[in-house]
Amino acid sequence: MTDKQPSVADGGYDTVHGVATFGWTDGGLRDVCTIATTEYRLAVKNRWAIALTAIFAAFSLGLLTFSGSSVGPDGFERVIGSLAVLAVYLVPLAALAFGYDAIVGAEDSGWLAALFALPITRGRLAIGTYVGRSIALTGSILIGFSLAGILLVRDFGLAGWNGFLAFLLGTVGLGLVFLAIALLISTVAAAKTHALGAALLIWAWFVLVHDLLALGLISAFELPEFALEAMVLTNPAGIFRVLVLGALDAGGDAGFATIMANTGLSTALLIIAMLAWIVIPIALASSMLGRRRI
Amino acid sequence: MNIGDHTMRIEFSDITKTYGNVTALEAVSIDIPAGSTFGVLGTNGAGKTTLFELLVGHDHQDSGEITVGGQSVANGGSNVREHIGFLPERVGFPGLLTGREVLEIHGRIRSLNTARAPRIEAVLETVDLTDAADRQVAGYSNGMQTRLGLAAALLAEPPILVLDEPTAGLDPRGVETFHQLVEEISQTSDATIIISSHDLHEIERLCNAVAILHEGRLKAAGSVEVLTETAGGTTEITISVPDDDTAGRLVDIIRPFGTTIVGEEQVTLSCHPSEVVEVIEQLDTRYMEDIDIEKPGLDAAFHAAVEVGRS
Repeated sequence: MTDKQPSVADGGYDTVHGVATFGWTDGGLRDVCTIATTEYRLAVKNRWAIALTAIFAAFSLGLLTFSGSSVGPDGFERVIGSLAVLAVYLVPLAALAFGYDAIVGAEDSGWLAALFALPITRGRLAIGTYVGRSIALTGSILIGFSLAGILLVRDFGLAGWNGFLAFLLGTVGLGLVFLAIALLISTVAAAKTHALGAALLIWAWFVLVHDLLALGLISAFELPEFALEAMVLTNPAGIFRVLVLGALDAGGDAGFATIMANTGLSTALLIIAMLAWIVIPIALASSMLGRRRI
Repeated sequence: MNIGDHTMRIEFSDITKTYGNVTALEAVSIDIPAGSTFGVLGTNGAGKTTLFELLVGHDHQDSGEITVGGQSVANGGSNVREHIGFLPERVGFPGLLTGREVLEIHGRIRSLNTARAPRIEAVLETVDLTDAADRQVAGYSNGMQTRLGLAAALLAEPPILVLDEPTAGLDPRGVETFHQLVEEISQTSDATIIISSHDLHEIERLCNAVAILHEGRLKAAGSVEVLTETAGGTTEITISVPDDDTAGRLVDIIRPFGTTIVGEEQVTLSCHPSEVVEVIEQLDTRYMEDIDIEKPGLDAAFHAAVEVGRS
């Protein structure tokens, strides 16, 4: 029998504290770590991790190469600004592509049924899945963009290193937000194609449409400041833009972020908002996975 | 193969489960004795998988109660699954993992710490996957994947083994191998084994008791022998004889017991199972070359149950 013997007092079962409990006991942490480790290993084995790293490195180094030309931006902060603009398009797309099949894909292969057969709560399963993939994505972002950072330090010295670190952390946060959204999509979607379609729509909304809409509203109406702030906080890509580009004082072609950089949103509030964009989708995904029938 | 020293009785009491307007189970009560090999028989949509999903805590019934070892499943959550090795109908594994890695994951979640490595070796041997253990699952056949699923279910030596349509999608050789495995487990352990299937012969071969579900309702339950007898199934006795004269004499003797058919050097009698002993006593074995007795199958019981459901 297992090393985890049930007690006699409760009739052979551990006492249960409700269905939704995550039970952060050693067992709970072990379950999450086991699933996370599996997800991470799969991300490495199926070459997602190396592919993402290569994409981030190729785009950032390419941008860096062009920024070195006479028509490109000059100065550490201007280059970081360009990298941030690149990241705001690329990283959400990569994170959504990496995460949209996390649950629905596992269901297709029968792996979800095998996991559901185990004594693990579905909340832990969702969190473990997210943690494993987030480690792979974070590693890819850090390695992929750090190569550009090394070249920047070589060209410009360490003067703007703090700005690059802020960009790197912001990019990791941006990736984690969209990975959390991808997990939620994957949990709700009935089929992989539905999840893929939803992921693309989400990307288009947050990265392309939302800010354009906001700019249009700002141009057409005299909006109070809290409305402008709400527009930023309801878009994780907008939060990233304001957080990174605002801090660099180098709006470049950031559009809406250039306008928003002077709002009353503090860095702390922006970070909290970004964390909320990570935690809320994961919580929803955990809840939805608990109701999913296979 | 030992999969547990203790046993657990399972009781479904007046279970009703609906999905929207569809009633998946309606007032189903089944008592599964500890240590039995129990079959749940039914056509597609009969409610077999729903019954299992409720048992392993994947879903909750609208009314009624399910108990395992006297403890309610509704309050058990994932803890219930610590006592159950469950092989779902559509089980699969990430193709890039090896069979051993899959079992490692199962072992960790099932809290097999020091016992994990030897248990993995033992179950791999049981399901005859030792040689394939370090190959990626992507290269496994359907049968091998099902056997890996069974290995995962057996890993923690659970007192209850639940197999949901385990041979669906397997080729005849895979089905035979799987049947032999389940028979071995059944004979060498005191675990309670529950198997769902729509294959009458599979249930008949593997199980000593059965419940027949049809359109979400329990139509019959009990031992295979009792169900077949009450359903009016007949025993077929086929006797090989050397010549037509002997066949003629034999027919005169056995005709009162049932219907006889005379074939080429053989006579077949269809009679009530309770009369088999009397028939054998009447025969003069000197004139018989061979005798084959085929007991009534579950066919009659199943069809009777389904017909009652339709009427």
